[in-house]
Amino acid sequence: MTWVILGAVIAAAAVVLVALPFLREPQAEDDRLDAPSDEQARRLELVEARDRALAALKELEFDHRTGKITDEDYRQLVSPLRQAAAAALRALEEGKERYGPAMSGLEPPVQVPEPAPPPDEGTPPTPVPVPEPYPPPDEGTPPTPDRPPEE
Amino acid sequence: MADLGRAALVVSLGLAFYALAAGGYAAYTGRRRLATSARNALFACFGSTLVAAAVLAVALARKDFSFVYVATHTNRTLPTVYALSAFWGGQEGSLLLWLLVLTGYGALAVALNRRLLRDLVAWVVPVFGGIATFFAFVLVAVASPFDTQTAPVDGAGLTPSLQNPYMVAHPPMLYLGYVGLSVPFAFAAGALLSGRTDERWIVATRRWTLAAWMFLGFGQLLGAHWAYVEVGWGGYYAWDPVENAALMPWLAATAFLHSVMIQERKGMLKVWNMVLVALAFELSLFGTFLTRSGVVNSIHSFSKSPIGGWFLSFVVISSLFSLVVILWRLPLLKARTRLESALSREAAFLYNNLLLVALSLTVLWGVLFPIVTQLVKGETRTMGRPYYDFFLRSFGLPLLLLMGIGPLIAWRKTSARSLVRTLTWPLAAALVAGVALVAAGAGSSTPGLIAYTFSAFVLATIVVELVRGTRATGSLTTLIARNRRRYGGYVVHAAVVLLAIGIAGSSAYQTTREQRLVPGQSTEVAGYRLTYDRTDPIRNDPNRTGRYAVLNVSGRWNGTLRTGQVTYTGFQETDEDVGIKTDWLRAQDLYVIANFDRGSQAVFFKILVKPLVNLIWLAGIVFVLGSLIALWPDAREQRRLVTRLAPAHA
Repeated sequence: MTWVILGAVIAAAAVVLVALPFLREPQAEDDRLDAPSDEQARRLELVEARDRALAALKELEFDHRTGKITDEDYRQLVSPLRQAAAAALRALEEGKERYGPAMSGLEPPVQVPEPAPPPDEGTPPTPVPVPEPYPPPDEGTPPTPDRPPEE
Repeated sequence: MADLGRAALVVSLGLAFYALAAGGYAAYTGRRRLATSARNALFACFGSTLVAAAVLAVALARKDFSFVYVATHTNRTLPTVYALSAFWGGQEGSLLLWLLVLTGYGALAVALNRRLLRDLVAWVVPVFGGIATFFAFVLVAVASPFDTQTAPVDGAGLTPSLQNPYMVAHPPMLYLGYVGLSVPFAFAAGALLSGRTDERWIVATRRWTLAAWMFLGFGQLLGAHWAYVEVGWGGYYAWDPVENAALMPWLAATAFLHSVMIQERKGMLKVWNMVLVALAFELSLFGTFLTRSGVVNSIHSFSKSPIGGWFLSFVVISSLFSLVVILWRLPLLKARTRLESALSREAAFLYNNLLLVALSLTVLWGVLFPIVTQLVKGETRTMGRPYYDFFLRSFGLPLLLLMGIGPLIAWRKTSARSLVRTLTWPLAAALVAGVALVAAGAGSSTPGLIAYTFSAFVLATIVVELVRGTRATGSLTTLIARNRRRYGGYVVHAAVVLLAIGIAGSSAYQTTREQRLVPGQSTEVAGYRLTYDRTDPIRNDPNRTGRYAVLNVSGRWNGTLRTGQVTYTGFQETDEDVGIKTDWLRAQDLYVIANFDRGSQAVFFKILVKPLVNLIWLAGIVFVLGSLIALWPDAREQRRLVTRLAPAHA
């Protein structure tokens, strides 16, 4: 009998826990589930695109430094990546202007440096600092807002 | 007390169903309080399942034979630790463990992500609820661990092969892995159902997937070691259907862990990743079905019952569900970019994926073959070891090679010139290793020689990567700390190399001798001289009877080795208790099995010398270490998620 009572107590406790949101707010002013708006979803998409582009730049830089890609390949690959990163940052900026609050909380833009000039034959190019993805997916630390990358 | 267990399970069933139905309705209609209520139901479901599990654990510890489950799986002489491990030694207890781990994982994963991923979690809760409803229903209506009876004087006892320390850890470890794969599945399904197929579900479940994969991998190695010391046939993996059941989802999860990196970096393979997550989860369910249904003959045939039909139905329903939601959301899963070069890191990951999935499906076909032949031809035919070994070599060796090449290739594109330059050192190391091995006589086995050469290549790659990375960043610790996932992954690669060397060494270069000896006679094997000294019976052990043959060993090692045959109380069959002497310097084992000749003093000994076998167990430790490095909490990653999502929920 004791065990049956204990079972009933567990069931009652479960019912209370499940009913808790309704007990706390019997008549909620706003009972809508907090789902991101289309603008916020778009913003998320842009943030992901930006992070992906900046991470790719960083990865390229690291692969170049560790000798996995030649100078020639580096020069060939770096420009489209910079363009992609710049485009993602621009799109975020435009989104902020267009949507206002929905795009609030965005980080300030990171200036994407110009591609390094072609190095002389036989001289390894000076690696161009790559802006950190903010915050970076894998490595590094976030850049200080509004600070141009070191040249 | 059984009433309490039954009541707790009924409550769990009700709560799980509520989480499914109310949670689904709340997510669909966008009702906040109802969604929170469904979430609370999932938390409460874990609590009530915990109560049920505690009731069963107490009954096992007290050996309360009024519980049919306890009487069937324990007896009075069984040591308490094994009585407790009987929790997962039988059908009903195992299912209860599944539900406990599932609701525990689900509650924790939902609790941790409830603020940042509110919209997604609202859809994740009903998915967890659906899975939990199935298990709770089976436990309440089909296979209850709380059936009672008039208590008999003694119980039937625990299957002898389960009375081993490894069996205390191996099944829970596997369950932590199997069930863990339901977390990425639930979040992936939640992402598809909600239509928010961005990367949040990947970021939120990355560590869950890694942890599940680690448990599943380590659990298999524990099982292999159990087979090695307990089953007494001299091997550690027999391609048994139930062993394969754990291997298949692990391979699928391995493929996912690699391919998901391509999605994160390039926004590609979204459909493929969804398919892999679903495949890994379905294979984990299928694995539980194989283990628990007794549908195929297996060394694990200690757990046969009529739940097969229920399980199969659930596997089919959940597979259809996965297929339908993936097809429904195909337009959202389109890739943004494409593969730029066949010579790139992402291409290497793709090849790796194809090989892993091919190996997984090949193993699946081998497991299903007896069932298919039974259905089609009316006779059961099984795939033997040669089938599996052939495909392991065909897919495993190229995988090993890719493990060496992949890390040296850059993302997006690598020119042939760069590749040649980066491959120089690893190739030279592999060449030197190959020549040295041939000179040392390892050429007697071609697959063994290839495996060793490729292993040297992979190890050299890891060293080269660490050296170049350290040069680029300034210190090894900084390098690893900045990218734990990559360098943890390299440690796991090293573990796979150890595993490959151990498997190749212990199978391709093993020495075996079978010899009948009477006391005083000797035999020699691979530098060991073994002299059969005497027979010792087991005394003063209420749980076991039997005898041991005592061998004096000299040569490479001097000492005494005991190997015997044991019968456990309440069971008729005899178990081999093998004698193993480990030579740590050579990582090899002297492994002796005794078979007593009835009616004489003679004993048939099977003596094996297994070179490098201990590298397999060492690989397990290295594997866990690498996995822990990869899944260690990363504050930056959390910041990344918060930064991305905070404005969305502002």
